[in-house]
Amino acid sequence: MLFRRIYQFLIIYFLGVLLLLALKVLLNLSNYVIPGPLSIWQVFVREFQRFLLHVLSTLGVAVIGQITSICLALAVGIIGRQATWFGTFVKVAAYNIQAYPIVAIAPIIFILLGDGFASRLLIAAMICYFPLLLSVMGIMSEPIDDIEHFYRVTGRMRWQLEVKIRAFENLQKLATVISGSATLAMAGTIVAEFIAADAGIGYSIRIALYQSDLAKVLVALFLIGITLSIYQGLLEWVGQWVKQRWASA
Amino acid sequence: MIYRKAMLLALAWLVVSAGLPASAGSAEEKVNYRLKWRFNTSVVGDVYADAHGYFEKEGIDVTVKPGGPERDAIRELELGYAQFGVASADQVIRALSKGARVRVLAQLFQVNPLQWIYRSAQPPITTLADLKGRVIGITFGGNDETIMKTILAKAGIPEGAVTLFSVRYDFTPFYRGKTDLWPVYRNSQGPILSRKLQAGGEAVSFFNPADFGVNFVANSVVTSEKMMAEQPDQVARFIRALLAAWRDALAPQNAEKALSTLAKYDPETPRDIQGEQLRITRGLVREDDGSVGRIDVAAWEQTEAIMMEQKLISAPVSVADALTLGK
Repeated sequence: MLFRRIYQFLIIYFLGVLLLLALKVLLNLSNYVIPGPLSIWQVFVREFQRFLLHVLSTLGVAVIGQITSICLALAVGIIGRQATWFGTFVKVAAYNIQAYPIVAIAPIIFILLGDGFASRLLIAAMICYFPLLLSVMGIMSEPIDDIEHFYRVTGRMRWQLEVKIRAFENLQKLATVISGSATLAMAGTIVAEFIAADAGIGYSIRIALYQSDLAKVLVALFLIGITLSIYQGLLEWVGQWVKQRWASA
Repeated sequence: MIYRKAMLLALAWLVVSAGLPASAGSAEEKVNYRLKWRFNTSVVGDVYADAHGYFEKEGIDVTVKPGGPERDAIRELELGYAQFGVASADQVIRALSKGARVRVLAQLFQVNPLQWIYRSAQPPITTLADLKGRVIGITFGGNDETIMKTILAKAGIPEGAVTLFSVRYDFTPFYRGKTDLWPVYRNSQGPILSRKLQAGGEAVSFFNPADFGVNFVANSVVTSEKMMAEQPDQVARFIRALLAAWRDALAPQNAEKALSTLAKYDPETPRDIQGEQLRITRGLVREDDGSVGRIDVAAWEQTEAIMMEQKLISAPVSVADALTLGK
């Protein structure tokens, strides 16, 4: 599964680069508009180590941001599944926060937290958590009547048990959502770095854009893609493992 | 099978050709003029030309398009999306170093508006040595980094003798006094920041690198070599119209008309701020005799030399060969 993800990414990436190179040849464009293969390769060799460290820095924040957003989405989803006043209040707050564009909120975040790790983390989590929240709320609001009925009529139903039943019955869905949210966590971190950080691959891309250096951007995109493919592959593997363990327990 | 292949090829050709831009146009065709930045006082001459029919008088139908951080006029020239544009000198030099065939028609800013604001309560910067020990905001990867590093090198100040602070798009660290100097566009952001700090009882000063012999050229009007070769008459008429508009927009007697024009293109900025911005822009663009657009060849060559020193280009590009006006 992991290798399939990697080679599928490589196919997509190189098809994209080939399309750009075809346009370059077709329109006789200079290296300023679209860099040639040699320029891309030279930049790759020159920047690989530095960019890899930046991507790993971004991935580190993305992973923590994703874990944070999973916890947040689970907490809000579990509370928000209830049809109580507080449940709807939490839902409204969660939806409203998501409606604000991150670039408008970013200055407030930077005033409160500075432009270091905490801001990157918060923005990554904010971008990542909403789709997770929707999925968690969807799953947690859907009763599993066949099983829950027994506990209800015997008066043994507790909210923890309800959550467990619904999570177990939808484990495959949850694993897919969590794996998919890795993309959002990575994108969120890159956005945060692009807006206002001084580390990470988003920051490197911003500098490359300042310098009109598309070769650097292409190399950065390659490293982001390959790192994300590996991370998502690992998440899927962990999801399978958890499911097997839970089922056999 | 052969029929299907032919259909696919035809479809692919349609998709590619639909995305292809038109080539540089003839005198009768519409042309696009891509600015460097969004509509604000920095482009007063450009919008003045658009609003008051300067291009029409020269027989050209010009669409003036606002720029922004995601826009690059030189790329658009090559792709045929624009026939004229505004680019900073470093963009031009980088493009030349990568084989782009671009020509500079006029230099709009005679003094680079990219300067540093600082509180007047701090010791004044009268020599470059006065920068020692200060916390200086720079945008890593931006022109201000290049300029400041050149200044430090010129003054023999090691980077350890100052603290370089990474600048982002909001000014909070400067307001909160975390940095001593903050890079601003003197004519656009300068008046807004000055006003805010003055409201809090703080006066401000500006550190202008040009006062210390560092002339890093800012915005200039550019076109493609192809356009120069194929439409020299249209190029001449375009630049004549544009420079006439800039001259008139910056003439003090036309200030009210210029401000009314700006209000239509940039309704967000208060008129009194625009008035101050216009006054400062006049000082950065207009020469003492009222002329505009002079290409300062020495400044361009210095800009190229700076970029070589800072390793932003790997080999000289002979930028003087790409400068057109007066040849």
